[in-house]
Amino acid sequence: MSTVRIPPPQAQRLGAGVGLRAVHYHHFLESHPDTGWLEVHSENYFGEGGHDLHVLARVRADYPVSLHGVGLALGSVEGDAAGHVSRLRRLADAIEPVFVSEHLCWGRAAGRHFNDLLPLPYTEEALELMVRRVQELQEVLRRRVLVENISAYLEFRASDISEGDFLAELARRSGCGVLLDVNNLYVNQRNHGSDALAAMDAIPPEAVAEIHLAGHLVTKRCLIDTHGDRVAEPVWALYDAALERFGPVPTLIEWDTDIPPLATLLTEVRRAEAAMNERACV
Amino acid sequence: MSELGRLQEAFAAALADASLASRATKLFRGVPDDAIVRLAIYRGNVLASMGKALANAYPIVVKIVGEEFFNGLAREHLRRHPSTSGDLNAFGEHFADFVAAFRHTQDLPYLPDVARMEWLAHRAHYAKDAEPFDIRRLKSIPEAAWNRVRPVLAPSCALLESPWPVARIWEVHQDGYAGKFSVDFDSGPERILIHRPRFRVQVASLSAGAYRFLQRAAGSSSIAGALEAAIAEEPGFEFPAALRAWVEAAVIVDFELG
Repeated sequence: MSTVRIPPPQAQRLGAGVGLRAVHYHHFLESHPDTGWLEVHSENYFGEGGHDLHVLARVRADYPVSLHGVGLALGSVEGDAAGHVSRLRRLADAIEPVFVSEHLCWGRAAGRHFNDLLPLPYTEEALELMVRRVQELQEVLRRRVLVENISAYLEFRASDISEGDFLAELARRSGCGVLLDVNNLYVNQRNHGSDALAAMDAIPPEAVAEIHLAGHLVTKRCLIDTHGDRVAEPVWALYDAALERFGPVPTLIEWDTDIPPLATLLTEVRRAEAAMNERACV
Repeated sequence: MSELGRLQEAFAAALADASLASRATKLFRGVPDDAIVRLAIYRGNVLASMGKALANAYPIVVKIVGEEFFNGLAREHLRRHPSTSGDLNAFGEHFADFVAAFRHTQDLPYLPDVARMEWLAHRAHYAKDAEPFDIRRLKSIPEAAWNRVRPVLAPSCALLESPWPVARIWEVHQDGYAGKFSVDFDSGPERILIHRPRFRVQVASLSAGAYRFLQRAAGSSSIAGALEAAIAEEPGFEFPAALRAWVEAAVIVDFELG
């Protein structure tokens, strides 16, 4: 894998960032909100031109930008629909992102795409497929990608590897980094009793290049990963544990539904930064 | 097929059709009833995100039929035309044809053309930016060369012909429209140009000659060929004024020798 680049050294000092969403564009065009970096959903910028790309290029001049894909469905047995990876490559070439990430999931079968992050069974077969797909992606993009753990509402009987071991082994075999979503670990712990701390302990500290924090919805049946609320207190507590193990990894506040004023996101950013600084001073 | 492939097909079938969910429950840990509920969460998420993507591409259709009815349309549309791309903005291409054939929208005969217009506008939103063209370059094209020179339309340009007043329907549904909310459905056929001069998609009503000219230009016709067709359609078509306006509005963005 001689073509895979290591992340730029400044990545370690990014601090906390927010997801850039269209309702907040004007803030970033009119002023310089205090956030270390920005992340966008790659597919929203797959067009060849227009306003979204224009805004992205503008904010890229002021902030490091991370491209977070939601549509590759890397773990689908059925191959990639033509063009997705090449559009991602075109975007990455234009934006020069600080990270490119995708999810540990599948989403395509029987000729259709569910446009959702569906869980994989944690088996050797799924691991081998993910390793192959991640390697192919890294070769096309000519850089290391990060792969994020997802929240899942179902667990497979077939799974015989733990989520943490699966991620660690994927990173080891493919050379990818891990985007650790702490909220997802918590949602899974509550939904099917997996151990979030054990999952973190299974992942080598140097493999984690980015952390995601988001809000979820508590329902009677289970926790739903809505990205539609403030980060919950137990997730902040897990975040402290993550910082303890992985160091002050660049951290993103994600908010995708019922998006609040930017000021609310920035409050969460300040809290994440405070947690990072506290760790750094210990 | 591999074990993983079979698992994904069974999961996919359960997501596509709730009546197949019970067959998939054996894949999951825990009691089958819980798995049915959790599969329904996924099914609901897929419906919601695809409905949102469709509404994003068809805001005027949503306004015309109302959100509740639109959600029903979106559900049925998804059943018949599932997504095939990981890019949600690519979803919804077949919506106009679906609406045209759907039993419960037959009392809105103009709806398919509104949807066609909105899909072209959606595409225009993401189209490649047009390079600015210096209008002074027009002078360098002598009339004698018109049979060899082809006008090049901006990548965002699209044309649509409809028996319904779709440009007017577009106009009254724009955010910030403050005029009278009325549409004369008997105003006769309309020919429209959908384009994006810079960032905002616009819809303009065209005369018969103007429409024919741009349609031929889009089909790589020379200026002379397009003009001949335009004048056959509309003997009074004023070409020099139209050309200047199209260049100024970044509809025509270049000329090619060919």
